[in-house]
Amino acid sequence: MNTDASGQGAASVAGHVADADQPVTGEAPRTLLQVRNLRTIFRHDHGSLTAVDGVSFDVRRGETLAIVGESGSGKSITAMSLLRLIPSPPGEIVDGEVEFDGRDLLELSDEEIRQIRGNEIAMIFQEPMTSLNPVLNIARQIGEPMEIHSRRDRDSIWKRCVDLLRQVRIPDPERRLKAYPHQFSGGMRQRAMIAMGLACEPKLIIADEPTTALDVTVQAQILELLKDLTRDHHSSMILITHDLGVVARYADRINVMYAGRIVERGTSDEIFNHPRHPYTLGLMESVPRLNDSDGTRLRPIPGQPPDLSNLPRGCPFHPRCRFAMDKCREAEPPLEQLSEEHWKACWVDLDDKH
Amino acid sequence: MTNTEPLLEVDNLQVHFKLHGGLLGRHQATVRAVDGVSFRVDQGETLGVVGESGCGKSTTGLAVLRMIDPSAGSIRLNGDDITLYKGRQLRRIRRRLQMVYQDPFGALDPRMRVLDIVGEPLLVHKLTSDRHAYRKRVLELLDLVGLNPKMAERYPHEFSGGQRQRIGIARALAAEPELIICDEPVSALDVSIQAQIINLLEDLQSELGLTYLFIAHDLAVVRHICDRIMVMYLGQVVETASRDTLYDQPMHPYTQALLSAIPVPDPRAETAREVDPSLQGEVPSPVNPPSGCPFHPRCRHAHDACRETKPPLRELQSGHAVACHLYDPAASEVNAPWPVARPA
Repeated sequence: MNTDASGQGAASVAGHVADADQPVTGEAPRTLLQVRNLRTIFRHDHGSLTAVDGVSFDVRRGETLAIVGESGSGKSITAMSLLRLIPSPPGEIVDGEVEFDGRDLLELSDEEIRQIRGNEIAMIFQEPMTSLNPVLNIARQIGEPMEIHSRRDRDSIWKRCVDLLRQVRIPDPERRLKAYPHQFSGGMRQRAMIAMGLACEPKLIIADEPTTALDVTVQAQILELLKDLTRDHHSSMILITHDLGVVARYADRINVMYAGRIVERGTSDEIFNHPRHPYTLGLMESVPRLNDSDGTRLRPIPGQPPDLSNLPRGCPFHPRCRFAMDKCREAEPPLEQLSEEHWKACWVDLDDKH
Repeated sequence: MTNTEPLLEVDNLQVHFKLHGGLLGRHQATVRAVDGVSFRVDQGETLGVVGESGCGKSTTGLAVLRMIDPSAGSIRLNGDDITLYKGRQLRRIRRRLQMVYQDPFGALDPRMRVLDIVGEPLLVHKLTSDRHAYRKRVLELLDLVGLNPKMAERYPHEFSGGQRQRIGIARALAAEPELIICDEPVSALDVSIQAQIINLLEDLQSELGLTYLFIAHDLAVVRHICDRIMVMYLGQVVETASRDTLYDQPMHPYTQALLSAIPVPDPRAETAREVDPSLQGEVPSPVNPPSGCPFHPRCRHAHDACRETKPPLRELQSGHAVACHLYDPAASEVNAPWPVARPA
């Protein structure tokens, strides 16, 4: 009950503030996706918990927007809510708007949203092993979105599949298309997933931890590939990850999430070099760096990740925050704009503390 | 670290798994998971073992613990050859070797209270005289790893990932081991929690004089916690060096590629960083490893010798050993494409 009430408050504040973030450009809007005040809850026996609590953000054409956060921060649920992939019950999107290229995705019929999934918005998941169907060969799976969304004949779908495998740099594509997922290595499966995602030349790719299950040398190959492909196709990408190194390399802008809220947003450069939310600062200080000198001690964020069913009053981060003041324990800070590209939800002025 | 006698000495360790298949379950192939690995760990130091999946780093850890039987080679703990220990002898040395696992969810029995999870090694190794001493010791251990001793009566599902990892560490410490093998101890944890566990492991090491064999794939974490690092590829050691030497002057092309592949949390450095384009493809299957140097199919410096003979691990500078033909002292000229201090 308590969390619901405070969530409501936060949602309305965030929604109000986000209005100021409307694009002001003329005919060709630079915003591809506009999320306003998104709230997703999960019901359980004793009530409900709010996994995404009044989240608002934009994705611009051609940009890579990262959503960074730890487990329970709501980053994956946010992404799945955009495409209405939340299992219902127990999940439910209870509020918000998701405007994609002029349409509100939350208002579309089931049939209409199916036309968008895999066609205009593609999703690449973390687990290439479980996201591919083991009994269908690769050609069937890559060709499926085209069978559904385009009027190509079998020959032209086959040719397009060969072309896609070539684009994701799988050698010997004609032979590989007839193979089954178990005959592929982890990296090859992830490449096949990307090929599937690209099949219909989507305007937006949502990549949810696309390389977490892979080795670093393969991770580098896959991420460089995704970067090149989104650039070539002028697609936008939402990159969901917990890996700050990956974010530093690939993101133009970053949303930092904590306990279902966006707590800081900014360009990659600002978030890394001038973090203004204590949680973001804490994340930066707690990762070991390759260039650490001997004896540097890490500065962890104390405490445990937030329990969504039992969030504290006020700012959800305050029990772990070394700057917390009385106000933080009482009222939740709204996401407010600091400069053109920089937003934070925190009562503390970190610049004063340094 | 001035001790002359190493705590752990592994010589030419091999672990081969036989694959069976077909109607009669005939022997089909052999996986050389660990193929001739030698190293030592000194008292009080942390040796990092890094490499990608399938390189044999975890199998090496399990073989040292004697949870997997080595196919060849020897393992010496404080001078005792434990390679062939069985039964009671084996149980006795198990007290001296403990393990911290990657998955804090799978590693703890969900039906046991924390008190019994942490205390079990005390009973197994008969290290406690009565219930009272047992309980006292467990509460001490919980306190040591930063958990509230009042939590002793609870069950694992009531704890978060980081807390469960602390429980796992407390259990490993219970028998007062000489060597703790940490197999990816922080990779399943959230970023903000990883640092807590790394600091805890460091504090415990300085308080209790522990020795760690630290197996991980995260090179930044390894650099932070380890004194020396051993890089493995397809069941073999390709490079060993002290921490700073390995990161500042990596010599093996695989180590170089691995280091170049890691993104660092700094957008300015990242814009400038070039990913080594030579490292294409993936780790080959250990069932059918390449001839010669295991890395040659992915190596941009590979030449004929690399395809034919396996380069031995040679110490080029004190404490820095590399298995690569580029640094072969017998070759008439240095093939290395970068300046190398030749062995004297």
